[in-house]
Amino acid sequence: MSWKFDNPLHSLASEDQNVAARELWEGESLGGIKENNNRLPQPVVGLLILTIITAFLVTAPLWGQRPTAAIYEEYIKLMDTPEVKSIADDGKKMEYIVNKVRTSGSKWVALQERHPVEMDDLRIIRSQIEELQQKNAYMDEYTVVGNKIVLANFEGNWRDDGTRVRTQPWWDKGYTIDIFFIVIFCVSVVIVVKRLPNYSWVPDHDKSH
Amino acid sequence: MFKYLFAKNEDIPPGSAAIFFGFSSILWFIVGTGLGSFNAAKLAFPDFVTGIEMLSFGHMRQVHVLAVILGWISMAFAMAMMYITPALGNTKLWSEKLGLWNCFIWNLGLSVGLILLWFGVTSGREYSDIIWPVDLAIIFGLLLPLGINVWMTIKTRRTQGIYTTNWFFGAATFMVIIVFTVGNSPEFFQLTGLTEAYLTWWFAHNVLGLWITPVAAAISYYIVPKVTGNPLYSHRIGHLHFWSVVVFYSTPAAHHLMSAPLPEWLKSFASVEGVLILVPAIAFVSNLLLTMSGKWKMFVENVEIKFTITGVLLAIPLNMQGGFQQTRAINWYIHGTGWIVAHAHLALLGFSTFLEAAAVYYGLQTLLRRKLYSLALANFHFWMLLIGFATYWISMTIAGLIQGAGKIYEVPYIDVVIAEHPYMIARWVGGTMVFLGNCVWLFNMWKTMRQGTLIPAGRLPHELAYER
Repeated sequence: MSWKFDNPLHSLASEDQNVAARELWEGESLGGIKENNNRLPQPVVGLLILTIITAFLVTAPLWGQRPTAAIYEEYIKLMDTPEVKSIADDGKKMEYIVNKVRTSGSKWVALQERHPVEMDDLRIIRSQIEELQQKNAYMDEYTVVGNKIVLANFEGNWRDDGTRVRTQPWWDKGYTIDIFFIVIFCVSVVIVVKRLPNYSWVPDHDKSH
Repeated sequence: MFKYLFAKNEDIPPGSAAIFFGFSSILWFIVGTGLGSFNAAKLAFPDFVTGIEMLSFGHMRQVHVLAVILGWISMAFAMAMMYITPALGNTKLWSEKLGLWNCFIWNLGLSVGLILLWFGVTSGREYSDIIWPVDLAIIFGLLLPLGINVWMTIKTRRTQGIYTTNWFFGAATFMVIIVFTVGNSPEFFQLTGLTEAYLTWWFAHNVLGLWITPVAAAISYYIVPKVTGNPLYSHRIGHLHFWSVVVFYSTPAAHHLMSAPLPEWLKSFASVEGVLILVPAIAFVSNLLLTMSGKWKMFVENVEIKFTITGVLLAIPLNMQGGFQQTRAINWYIHGTGWIVAHAHLALLGFSTFLEAAAVYYGLQTLLRRKLYSLALANFHFWMLLIGFATYWISMTIAGLIQGAGKIYEVPYIDVVIAEHPYMIARWVGGTMVFLGNCVWLFNMWKTMRQGTLIPAGRLPHELAYER
């Protein structure tokens, strides 16, 4: 099996091999089925590239994240302030807290909007959050799941104190493996199709059929 | 069948195994959809048949699922392989006798497995509900003999080249054996917990991805060029399709368990690969639709093309849904709802069933040398299948969205049940239409065998005009 690398995007096969492939292609009947040698249409190539880019963008862990304990810390802190206590209605209390945190320039505003809570929710998780605060825990490593606050299941880098970062990473080794798969796939398919006669050659189906 | 089981291979008429597999598949389709209709009725009308444990939903659901997958779909695949593989190699099936034994044991083994399931003897693992001794029987009694017949037929072909369809057949019969062996390993080795859950969905994912999807696609690679007379649009797109199925579909399947405590990197890996199933889908759909160029009137006039192209077109919503519904952004909402049930039926009752039906229609006419008995009944079957499926799919998708909203906003369960009740009735209506259509199909194929117009030697069924 010989290879030709002088014009790899045109053909990786020698001229002899291409002649033999063309003769076989035109001279052999596979149960009456014929095949053309068209290239992949360019709009479809564009669609495939778009698919690969989309696959990474749409699966990024930025989407579908659960709320962390950190985003509710400021809410909890405001619960016992005189301003909140003076409001009788729970709905209005919550509205006040949300507005207060938002106008104070909290870095969690986007996530707070994505994971809204009510006063009853805050009352349920309050003691757990305060307990974690007393332990100086990394609050963004804890996930609020219903009425429980649990340590997230991520294993990031080691810290100096011997603990591991548990926040959701924007990139993980899963994506690295994906890139490996995609590269291997693209290279393999290019090699396979470039061993065929170039797509500019049109088979004559009248020869064998 | 029985008179040929002990006959010499040379004395068995070519195509016998495919014919028996073909009729068996239709019968199992009727059984499977009949059970589906019955189960759907129990969800739509909670007072329908109560008090009999054996007829409870929990006993019957998995019998329906596996009757369809291992009975209808897989036996239609076996039928297709047993007449298409030799046809593409300009040869005969390697062993008709092995094919007939394969068909006999398949029917027997599946009956035993499903009866055990019905009696509640189950592994309790969705899609791989059958207990491990029967799993082993499936591997060694059903799948391996089928694979040997396909591989040996390809090996003993009288052509130098191998057509695209046979790449898929040869590879899928190999891959499904691996899938069954590895996927059922939790039962062989008593694996429990997260490992069991993970392998359960690895199995379910790959039965779809490495067996049903590629073999169904392979059928259309044969039917469309064969019946239209057009060359396949592109051999090289076929390569892209084949290798992208093997690379991207075979990956971990962790995207079925996005809410489980699996490592996040595994979910990221699987989730990207999940979107990348659009690569084979785009290659497949574009190749087949471009092959139809200049022959689109056959989409209306020819039964086999009508079924095949409908299946190909249904691959578009199937892969759009499948690719994106497993991402973190969407999965949290629709996981565990009727949306997934709708999607599973889009895959099995939509995309793949139409392609298998095309293979059985075309294969039985070709092998029996009889033109289809009634075009009108075939069209009736097509529309019952399409309208019934669409009713099912749309109603269950809506029900799934309602359930998703109920789940997220913590709506009391009983309120969700009440809200989705009309859609459960629609589901039953759709499923029942499919069942009735299949009964008509069996009648039509039986009459074809008995009274269909004889096809002269050297002619093919689609070259003759319909008479009824």
